Amino acid sequence: MESEGSPAPKARAAKGAASPPPDNTASKYLSGLPSRGLFSSPVLSSNLGGIRVYLCDHDTAPPEGQLIKTNTTNILIRALQNNKQKGDLKDLLSKSATGIATGKRSVRTAEGKPPPKKAKSTSASTSNHRGSSSNGFSENTLQTMTVERLRALLKDRGLPTRGKKDELIARLKDEA
Amino acid sequence: MSVWNYAVTAHKPTSVTHSCVGNFTSPQELNLIIAKCTRIEIHLLTPHGLQPMLDVPIYGRIATLELFRPHGEPQDFLFIATERYKFCVLQWDTETSELITRAMGDVSDRIGRPTDNGQIGIIDPDCRIIGLHLYDGLFKVIPFDNRGQLKEAFNIRLEELQVLDIKFLYGCLKPTIVVLYQDNKDARHVKTYEVALKDKDFVEGPWSQNNLDNGASLLIPVPMPLGGVIIIGEETIVYCNGSAFKAIPIRPSITRAYGRVDADGSRYLLGDNAGLLHLLVITYERERVTGLKIEHLGETSVASTISYLDNAVVYVGSSYGDSQLIKLNLQPDAKGSYVEVLERYVNLGPIVDFCVVDLERQGQGQVVTCSGAYKDGSLRIVRNGIGINEQASVELQGIKGLWSLRSSTNDPYDTFLVVSFISETRVLAMNMDDELEESEIEGFCAEVQTLFCQNAIDDQLVQVTANSVRLVSSTTRELLHEWNAPSGYSVNVATANACQVLLATGGGHLVYLEISDKKLVEVKHVQLEYEISCLDINPIGDNSNYSSLAAVGMWTDISVRIFSLPNLELLVKENLGGEIIPRSVLLCTFEGVSYLLCALGDGHLLNFLLNVNTGELSNRKKVSLGTQPIMLRTFSSKDTTYVFAASDRPTVIYSSNKKLLYSNVNLKEVSHMCPFNSAAFPDSLAIAKEGELSIGTIDDIQKLHIRTIPLGEQARRICHQEQSRTFAICSFKNCLTSNEETEMHFIRLLDDQTFEFISTYPLDTYEHGCSILSCSFSDDNNAYYCVGTAYVLPEENEPSKGRILVFVVEDGKLQLIAEKETKGAVYSLNAFNGKLLAAINQKIQLYKWMLREDGSRELQSECGHHGHIVALYVQTRGDFIVVGDLMKSISLLLYKHEEGAIEELARDYNANWMSAVEILDDDVFIGAENNYNLFTVRKNSDAATDEERGRLEVVGEYHLGEFVNRFRHGSLVMRLPDSESGHIPTVIFGTINGVIGVVASLPHDHYVFFEKLQSNLVKVIKGVGGLSHEQWRSFNNEKRTVDARNFLDGDLIESFLDLSRNKMDEIASSMGVSLEELSRRVEELTRLH
Repeated sequence: MESEGSPAPKARAAKGAASPPPDNTASKYLSGLPSRGLFSSPVLSSNLGGIRVYLCDHDTAPPEGQLIKTNTTNILIRALQNNKQKGDLKDLLSKSATGIATGKRSVRTAEGKPPPKKAKSTSASTSNHRGSSSNGFSENTLQTMTVERLRALLKDRGLPTRGKKDELIARLKDEA
Repeated sequence: MSVWNYAVTAHKPTSVTHSCVGNFTSPQELNLIIAKCTRIEIHLLTPHGLQPMLDVPIYGRIATLELFRPHGEPQDFLFIATERYKFCVLQWDTETSELITRAMGDVSDRIGRPTDNGQIGIIDPDCRIIGLHLYDGLFKVIPFDNRGQLKEAFNIRLEELQVLDIKFLYGCLKPTIVVLYQDNKDARHVKTYEVALKDKDFVEGPWSQNNLDNGASLLIPVPMPLGGVIIIGEETIVYCNGSAFKAIPIRPSITRAYGRVDADGSRYLLGDNAGLLHLLVITYERERVTGLKIEHLGETSVASTISYLDNAVVYVGSSYGDSQLIKLNLQPDAKGSYVEVLERYVNLGPIVDFCVVDLERQGQGQVVTCSGAYKDGSLRIVRNGIGINEQASVELQGIKGLWSLRSSTNDPYDTFLVVSFISETRVLAMNMDDELEESEIEGFCAEVQTLFCQNAIDDQLVQVTANSVRLVSSTTRELLHEWNAPSGYSVNVATANACQVLLATGGGHLVYLEISDKKLVEVKHVQLEYEISCLDINPIGDNSNYSSLAAVGMWTDISVRIFSLPNLELLVKENLGGEIIPRSVLLCTFEGVSYLLCALGDGHLLNFLLNVNTGELSNRKKVSLGTQPIMLRTFSSKDTTYVFAASDRPTVIYSSNKKLLYSNVNLKEVSHMCPFNSAAFPDSLAIAKEGELSIGTIDDIQKLHIRTIPLGEQARRICHQEQSRTFAICSFKNCLTSNEETEMHFIRLLDDQTFEFISTYPLDTYEHGCSILSCSFSDDNNAYYCVGTAYVLPEENEPSKGRILVFVVEDGKLQLIAEKETKGAVYSLNAFNGKLLAAINQKIQLYKWMLREDGSRELQSECGHHGHIVALYVQTRGDFIVVGDLMKSISLLLYKHEEGAIEELARDYNANWMSAVEILDDDVFIGAENNYNLFTVRKNSDAATDEERGRLEVVGEYHLGEFVNRFRHGSLVMRLPDSESGHIPTVIFGTINGVIGVVASLPHDHYVFFEKLQSNLVKVIKGVGGLSHEQWRSFNNEKRTVDARNFLDGDLIESFLDLSRNKMDEIASSMGVSLEELSRRVEELTRLH
């Protein structure tokens, strides 16, 4: 009993010496704790029955197709394949830039892959818009291209290549 | 012991590692789900508190536990990943109350270095992907499709190698992770990445933050509208979302757990490693964070997980102390704490050491563990069976019967205690001062022995003596009516309930009386062919005052018969077999199932399932409870019925999961017992033992009973000394000396009854207690405590200095008798041939106990053996020494007396990192290692070549899934010599998660039988989430994985008894044995723990 009695006054003294306001602040922050009506009984029962041990005697195999495995493609090989795809697209793009391909084809390919140099920073946004812009460049894709590339595309289509970037983009979009 | 071992859990894991809250069992119900290493517990939140629902064993050590809600689902799914790289998604089927596997898989990679900082498993808040960080430099993604189905997983290279934490950010268009990592200059940073699902790659995320607090270790993602992340450091807390950056300093502490309070993420609870609970508040204006505030709330157990439940009630899960249910009060208490502990959930973990003792000297082991860590350190006394806490006792010789009576039919409390002797009956009553004093019931006959008495309806009492049955008014206490035995006959046995009396006189006469208002009416009288030995008409039907069945035990033909009432027609006769007469019968109902219990004169108990309508008996089972005649009585505690079997081994019989369980009571010999629920002693039992009548309360009825002795510091080693009736422990606590925290280590002496510290020996600065032993030496009969220590200096990698201290207990004090300096840490001490065997760093050293010329004693080194990395665990048997090495598995040494030398005989050449070893028998040793496996090795002494003899052959391997810190020979249960399990040797083990388990060595034929049962059970009892039992129990470490062998999974085998009847039948028939035989053999095993 003595041992229990002694720390209490000490704590009280310490509290008085420090400052009562902090206590109030904690009270302030503790108000309005979320409640959905659970634990609302004034006397919370300590023993609401025993716990049942679960015995699983039904089939626990996952439903079809939900036995998940990891893609076994090596990360390096996957990266190389990605690069290769990008490379192929770049080839196509450069071909289209030389005027062999029709406008539409070049549009489709260029939309598929921006130049590899920029790939790292832009792949997210390209993939984001890939679905919506199958018939032409999305604004975003065009925004990511350099003015030079935009001019090349305009030239392909036989359009004027002068003006600010926004104008070039607008011209390309109109054309598409 | 043998190589055929059976490993079973006696006390389940209690250390809580994870918890989460969500609508799992129904869209309307809120659940708390707790992970306890290899089990999960599902609780339901109700207005009245936390209601336990289900305890689910998982075939794996749980690494991640998360609730999530896929799109379009009304309730949450549970994601569990295990440490052995399996995962599953579980759904609760409300209709069948079953856990359905929605998906499962293996997420291991063939190459990859497992992460140092633990496995991380996280789920995108918008439920697009599951992210796993299991190997350094790899982040595994399991994508969801738009129907909530999982798709093929893939790995992404993560540049950061030393990852401390990863979380998903809220409110991002694409799944975005924030990574807290340490660079190769040990500076810590956070970085964000978007997951590009199409490219299966990361894209630099929206922001990053370099050079954080050096102790930053925890990320808390903040939900929308605020978004961003809180980074918890040791000295600062930072909020960061790319555009805003707020920081506050905190008192230095290591935060171990957090719990979100509000759905909008504006308040969090933080728990640190000193058990302090803080509230972290994000202040904001119009969705812009303006600052952080931190408030100290109070102290809890050291939290490993915090879950805010509801209405200011919080669950604090702990692996270092008891888990708690706490309430946050608006106003502080007198000590300035806002935390009110509503409930504590016992946790034995981490069990660092334990010893097996028999404190009450009853021949039954108790385990005393060093449990808990830091401030939550404690000793726990774990005992099988039930304790009676004596409240009062009087000396009374020759008690022949004991009954309690109420003063009126409707009185809630008992007033009278009727004590019967061979030639008189005395009545004790509670007086006004709540004292028990001698009283009188005028209508009772006090000059003869009472055979039975009972409260009857309408405020009446019944007393049965050899000559008559007396009906007495309980208000006037006057005789109302008397039924006299026919002349020439005396009543031998009698029983009664509120309106019926059944008695038997000599000559096999059975007489049935009914009690009506102020009258006893003889209704029926039959004569049986033999004498009657015992009777019962305890009402078990719908009417609690009237029984329609009577059980009668017979002499001569040794049978028990069921009669119908009131016409005493014989319904069933069951021959008991053997020559021992039934001494007590009892009709009773547990959990809605009716039983007939029949106790024999030799301490055996038979139980039958009873059909209440037809009286038919089925499912006969026999157990041995003691060696003396048993008296059966029912009593109730907390609205549940129990049966007390009074004998030389008093036992409480109760039912759990519709299975009868038998628990020993910590009393030596009880002749009679009756419940005595008085105002002064509520819910008590009156117990007649040898020469004494005592009144006591009974512990909660459960199989294992745990008593906690809080120490306020962590005990690391414990041992018991019989001679001085003391325990000695090595313990330590953190002390603040001039603002620097230092560990102080002590040797403390405790009384083995009160568990109070009676003496303390402080160790030097930096000196740690590493081992402790109670022993005697040859030619010196004193019992000594020997303590091995190590000086753990901050600049040393391995201790180079230690001491062996020899103490004697004198007048309750530790007296240092001798001291010997060693060249390293003394990891283990063993008594060995009257000498002391110490394991000191890489060496095994033997010391003699020498008498100096001045009469004082000293330790003198005799011989030693080198050749270990670090010899951590040593056990001895005869001249053999078994050493468990830090990383070189088990080796066997031999002490040669003639040469005075220790030589290595054999070793196991596997590279196991040991955590405990024990000797099972002369040839077989068991070891536990740090990948949670058990294995046994055998000495090859008959092998032909030296090379083979020098190798310990691995004979058994098993994945226990628990980190074992100690093995000890012993048993938690009373071993009865005539039961089969009485001869099965057992070893007890204790683990970090608070598991106490038993390894039992079975005879070979038993092993083969149960192995067959196990393989049959695996086909019927499936792993939750589709996890495989075979894979779970396969021995597994970094190098190899092999199927378990020569170990049986006792937990699986014993769950046979919980199966439905038809599944049990199915298994029994495929095993080719009868169900009764199979159940009996499995039940026999359950009595090993």
